[in-house]
Amino acid sequence: MDYFEPKTLSEALGLLAKYGEQAKVIAGGTDVMVDIKYKEEPGCLVNIKKIPGLDAIRENGGSLRVGPLVTIRDIETNSIVRERLPVFWEACHQFASLQIRNTATVGGNICRASPSGETLAPLLVLEAKGKLAFADGEKSEPFTSFFQGPGKSSVGAKGLLTEIEIPYPSAGSKSIYLKHAVRGAMDIAMVGVAVLVTPDAANNGLQDVRIGLGAVAPTPIRATKTETMLRGKPFSAALVKEAAQMAASESSPISDQRSSAENRRWIVEALTRRGLQQSWQAATGKEVAS
Amino acid sequence: MSLTINTRINGKSIRSSAEASTSLLEFLRDTLEYKGTKLCCNTGECGACTVIYNGKPINSCVTMAADANGAEIITIEGLANGDELHPVQQAFIDTGAVQCGYCTPGYIISVKALLDRTTKPTAEDIEEAVSGNICRCTGYNKIVDAIHLAADRIAGRA
Repeated sequence: MDYFEPKTLSEALGLLAKYGEQAKVIAGGTDVMVDIKYKEEPGCLVNIKKIPGLDAIRENGGSLRVGPLVTIRDIETNSIVRERLPVFWEACHQFASLQIRNTATVGGNICRASPSGETLAPLLVLEAKGKLAFADGEKSEPFTSFFQGPGKSSVGAKGLLTEIEIPYPSAGSKSIYLKHAVRGAMDIAMVGVAVLVTPDAANNGLQDVRIGLGAVAPTPIRATKTETMLRGKPFSAALVKEAAQMAASESSPISDQRSSAENRRWIVEALTRRGLQQSWQAATGKEVAS
Repeated sequence: MSLTINTRINGKSIRSSAEASTSLLEFLRDTLEYKGTKLCCNTGECGACTVIYNGKPINSCVTMAADANGAEIITIEGLANGDELHPVQQAFIDTGAVQCGYCTPGYIISVKALLDRTTKPTAEDIEEAVSGNICRCTGYNKIVDAIHLAADRIAGRA
C-alpha cells in the first residue's frame, strides 16, 4: 500500500485525480483504520492532516466556518458552537467516547456518509453547506443534496471537503438532537432525530420547522413532507402526534443487529414527538396545548 | 511501504519504521516492545489501548503509526518514577480497582489524562473521562473510588 502526506490541497487533489478509486483519504483514522484491519487495504492512503488551514473554527458574518480536520472534541469544547448551534453541539457531545472524539474529524464523519453519522442530521436541519474541491475547481453544496447513499456522497473519489459552513439559525428558534442507543457511550445511534423550530410572532404556530432523521434511511434525511404539513398550523398536541407519525412514515429503515425496522419507526415517531414538544417549549415557554 | 517514524515516547526520542497500514498500537507493542498498552477490540470501542497523544487520550488501535511522527506519546510504562508508582496506579491498587487487570493500563491512562486536566473532577468529568473504557470485572464502583483517591492525593487532600 502506498502512502502520501500531501502538504497542499492541490497536491492532495492531484493524487486523488491520479489514483481515483484506488485512493483512500485518511484524517483521524477512526473508521479507515478499522477498514484496513477488517476489510481491505486500499491501493494508497492519502493522509490529509498535513495540509495547513483545514483545522480551524471561525465566525464569518452570520455563519460558522468549520475546517474538515477539526476534531469532534474541538467542536464539543467550542463555546460558540455550544451557544449558537446547540443541536450540533449535542451530537458532538454524544459522539462515541472521549478517545474517539479527540481523534475523529468532522470532515471524516461527513465524508464517511454513513446513514447513522452522528453530526449529519443536525447539519441537515441547520442547512449547512460543504465547500468541495476537485482538481478542476470547487463548488459549494448543501448537505441536503450531498448524501447519495451509504458511503456515497458528492465528494466522490476525487474530491475533498474543504470547509463546512453552518449558518446561525434565526434568533427565536430552538433546536434539539435526540439519540436513541442501547448504551450511552460508544454506541452508534439506532435512531437520531434533530429538530429545529421557529415559532411565528404570536407563538401560535410554526413559521419554520426542520426535522432531520439519522440511521433510518440509506442517507440521513429531512422529513420534508412532515415539515410542509406543520408550517403555519396552530401548534397542538394533536398536530405533534400527526407529525410524529408522518415522520415515521417518511423513514425507510432497515433491520440490523441494533434494531428491527419496525422498532426504528416507532422510535422515529417517539423522538420526533419529543423533539417537537421540547423545542417548542424551549422557544415559546409554553406547554403544548392538548 | 515502510515509513520512517521519529517520535517521543515517555520522554525518550525514538527513530524507527512502520508500514503505512500499521496502527500506533501495533507499532508500540510489536515494534517497540511497549507491551503495557493492550490490544482488545482493535476497533476503537473498548479503550484498552488508550495512550496519551500530544496531551490527549486516544485509542492507539485506530491511530496510524505514521501519526506518531513528531508527536509526544505517553504509555503506561511512562507513569512510574523508578520504583515509585504514579498516584493513579497506587490508587487503583489501594482501592481494589484491579481484578483481571487487562483493562487497567487503558483506564489508568484515561484517568491520568483527566487528572492532568483537573484535580477536582466532578462525577460528570469522571464519567466522560472513562466512558470509553470497558471493564468486565469490577462493576466500576472501585474504579470511581480509585479516581477520587488519586485526585485527592495529587491535590494534597489525602
